[in-house]
Amino acid sequence: MMRAETPTQFATALRWFHVPVWIIIVSLMGFVLVHLRAGRRWLAWIVCILRTFSLLLNFLVGQNLNYLEVTRLRSIHFLGESVSVAEGVSNPCMFIGQLSLLLFLVFVIDAIISVWRRGDSRQALVIGGSILSFVLTAIVMGVLVVWQIVIFPLTLSIFFLGFIVVMGVEMSRSTLQVVQLSDELSQRTDWLDLAADSAGVGIWLWDFKTNHIWGTERARTLYGFSPDEPIPFEKYLSRLHPDDLNWVVQASQACIKDGTDFRDDYRIVLPDGSLRWMRVTAKTFLVSADSIPDRMTGISVDITEYKESQLKQQKEQEFTNTLLEGLPGIFYLYTLPDLRLVRWNKNHEKLTGFSSEEMYGKHVLDWFAPADYPAIAHAVEVVEEQGNVSMELEILKKDGRSLPLQATGIFFSDGKGEYLMGIGMDITRRKQMELELQQKRNELTHVTRVSMIGELASTLAHELNQPLGAILRNAEAVELMLEDQSPDIGELRDIMQDIRKDDKRAGEVIDRMRAMMKKREAPQRHIDLKLLVDEALVLVQPDAKKRKVRLVLDVNPRLPLIYGDQVQLQQVFINLLLNAFDALGDNPPEIPLVTVLVQPVGETVEVAVSDNGPGIEPDNIAHLFKPFFSTKSDGLGMGLAISRGIIEAHSGRLWAKNNKAGGATFTITLPMAGRGVA
Amino acid sequence: MNAPVPIVRIVDDDASFLTAVARFLRASGFEVRTYASAAEFLLQPEYDVPGCIIADLHMPGLSGMDLQEALAKEGHKLPIIFLSGQGDIPTSVQAIRRGAEDFLTKCAPKEELLNAVNRAINRDAHERAERERLEALRARLATLTLREHEVLQHVVQGKLNKQIAFDLSIHERTVKYHRTSIMTKLNAFSSAELTKLWIEAGTIKK
Repeated sequence: MMRAETPTQFATALRWFHVPVWIIIVSLMGFVLVHLRAGRRWLAWIVCILRTFSLLLNFLVGQNLNYLEVTRLRSIHFLGESVSVAEGVSNPCMFIGQLSLLLFLVFVIDAIISVWRRGDSRQALVIGGSILSFVLTAIVMGVLVVWQIVIFPLTLSIFFLGFIVVMGVEMSRSTLQVVQLSDELSQRTDWLDLAADSAGVGIWLWDFKTNHIWGTERARTLYGFSPDEPIPFEKYLSRLHPDDLNWVVQASQACIKDGTDFRDDYRIVLPDGSLRWMRVTAKTFLVSADSIPDRMTGISVDITEYKESQLKQQKEQEFTNTLLEGLPGIFYLYTLPDLRLVRWNKNHEKLTGFSSEEMYGKHVLDWFAPADYPAIAHAVEVVEEQGNVSMELEILKKDGRSLPLQATGIFFSDGKGEYLMGIGMDITRRKQMELELQQKRNELTHVTRVSMIGELASTLAHELNQPLGAILRNAEAVELMLEDQSPDIGELRDIMQDIRKDDKRAGEVIDRMRAMMKKREAPQRHIDLKLLVDEALVLVQPDAKKRKVRLVLDVNPRLPLIYGDQVQLQQVFINLLLNAFDALGDNPPEIPLVTVLVQPVGETVEVAVSDNGPGIEPDNIAHLFKPFFSTKSDGLGMGLAISRGIIEAHSGRLWAKNNKAGGATFTITLPMAGRGVA
Repeated sequence: MNAPVPIVRIVDDDASFLTAVARFLRASGFEVRTYASAAEFLLQPEYDVPGCIIADLHMPGLSGMDLQEALAKEGHKLPIIFLSGQGDIPTSVQAIRRGAEDFLTKCAPKEELLNAVNRAINRDAHERAERERLEALRARLATLTLREHEVLQHVVQGKLNKQIAFDLSIHERTVKYHRTSIMTKLNAFSSAELTKLWIEAGTIKK
């Protein structure tokens, strides 16, 4: 064209020149769209249509798109060469061609901007810039040359060259990079595959565009797919367990929508019908620039064994929990050796009134009154040495009241630590029943004693009424006889004698009764008072404990034997001890104390029972030992009378006095056994 | 006729008490006889002598209650006062129901004892008088002839002389004669009185 000789030649060359221009523009747009992945498709179509239209006009209207008619040729020098430039009537249709170029320009600028924004500023600058300058130049030159504002060869080969060089460099660079990357990638993928495979991890990719899933061999094996089988998403879904299908689909969709990761376990059913647990971690990838989800890649691991053992563990845990919560008593687990509560059941909280926060870490001794500490410490020792213990104990509830328990303790070790665990059964009811029974027994004993004494009294009254009646009648007779003028003195004397006789008889009756009360087939023997007092203390120990009385025994080791009835004497000691406890019952001192002192005094052995209670009222001291005298509401008033009777039958003495320091002391002296008595 | 003095019989195994009570009652003006046991009393009961019995309830051998039973069997009705060292309700109720005059403890106040003794003696005297009156009546009835007896039986049935004469096939005047004789013998003044005597006599016979 630049070498055209005639205007017609030039016009024809120019006309055909537009064909490569069309090709260049269309292919540039294609390049932008495909290589740069930028630009608006619809704009490209418009440009394409307009360009094609203008190509049509190029062949139909005038000599070519630029000129209706080339009138003359001029030769100019351009870069040292003589080139032809045309002069003629410009074609108005050129406007459409320029418009298409303008839109192409817009398309390119838009593409450059989006590439720039994507962060690929280099590509934007190099490729976009060259395209842009080419297009700009083409437009400006076209207009200027055709309208003959500047005289310039229309051919823009130089720009094409520059553009093609730049594009070529750029493309080859990209291709080189891609090759390098793909090499690297394939190596890495190999490593990854190896690692994933050996870890049993399946890697997969879910392409949203094709809705197919690609997976490593391991992934395919995990889900039961053959190595070459295509996996549409639906096929993958068919592997899911029916119960998990819905939520997995929903969760996946949510992840895709929010661009978040999927992390969960679900079940799949393999074609052979076996059920497997999968743990899946997946990531959603977005198409760059516009946040359109593109694909999801993830890894799947078969965790069936782990799940099963976990389920088994869970079941076992549930079983244990059900067992512990279902226990009728309380359960506890204390760490050893620091004895802190770490595990218990709801019943424990319910029965003691403590909340779980208060329970945790509670020390075992916190449940007990200080007086019980030694017993509990001993029980813990037994558990540590012998493995288990069972005992009755009383723990303190939150409200301060005590809860009697039949408790067990078992040594337990789980490899990590050592524990004392056990259960305690609430025995409040049993205790209550025992108490009631004891009360009933006491009542019964009391009734028996009362009826016995009633019978005794009845016999006593009958026996006594004979002589007493006789005395009364005799006395009355005397009275009547004395009213007489001359009473018969001899008869009066007889009567007085009879009265004396009957009085003696009455006395004998009483003596006989006393003897009867004392008798009771008492086998007399040598007695070690220490043993006797020890025994009595053992017998009253439960009472003492119940009433929180401290018992102190002080026995002189060099104690002579005494002689008497063991049972009777023991009754006396028990009676005195119980009396002492009773004395400490109302308004007890801070430390209720009963002291028993046994020591030899001269030819006797002395047993003194002292309490630190309020003492005996001075008015009562004289009556203490009289029968039927009692300061207790439920007392018979016979205890001390009988006691004194027994002691006196043993040729001993029993007396009471108030202590200077408060309280009272009952003292017994018994003669030591004579050497002659066997 | 000289009425015999009532005697208080005391039965008790307790010699001392026996003596004392006897003394007291004697001093109080009573004639007293003592027995160491119920058996001894039953050997010489002397029912003819008025008075009463004081017996200890509890005695070895025959008890007070046994004595009461023995007396009832023989048809002798000496009032009995029971004494006991100690009274118990069941025994006393039983004793009173069987007709005991009283039930006292040995140490009872003397007034109670004296009252009981007096009451018993009075009752005995009254019963004896009644018995004697009926005894006399029976004796008079025995003096009637056989015919008089027949007539009396008809009279007490309220029959007129004419009817009696017809029934016995005797003359009416003879009936009148017998009637007069009966009235005289029985010391009665009307046929109504005759009827009353007849009923009383009948009671005795039974």
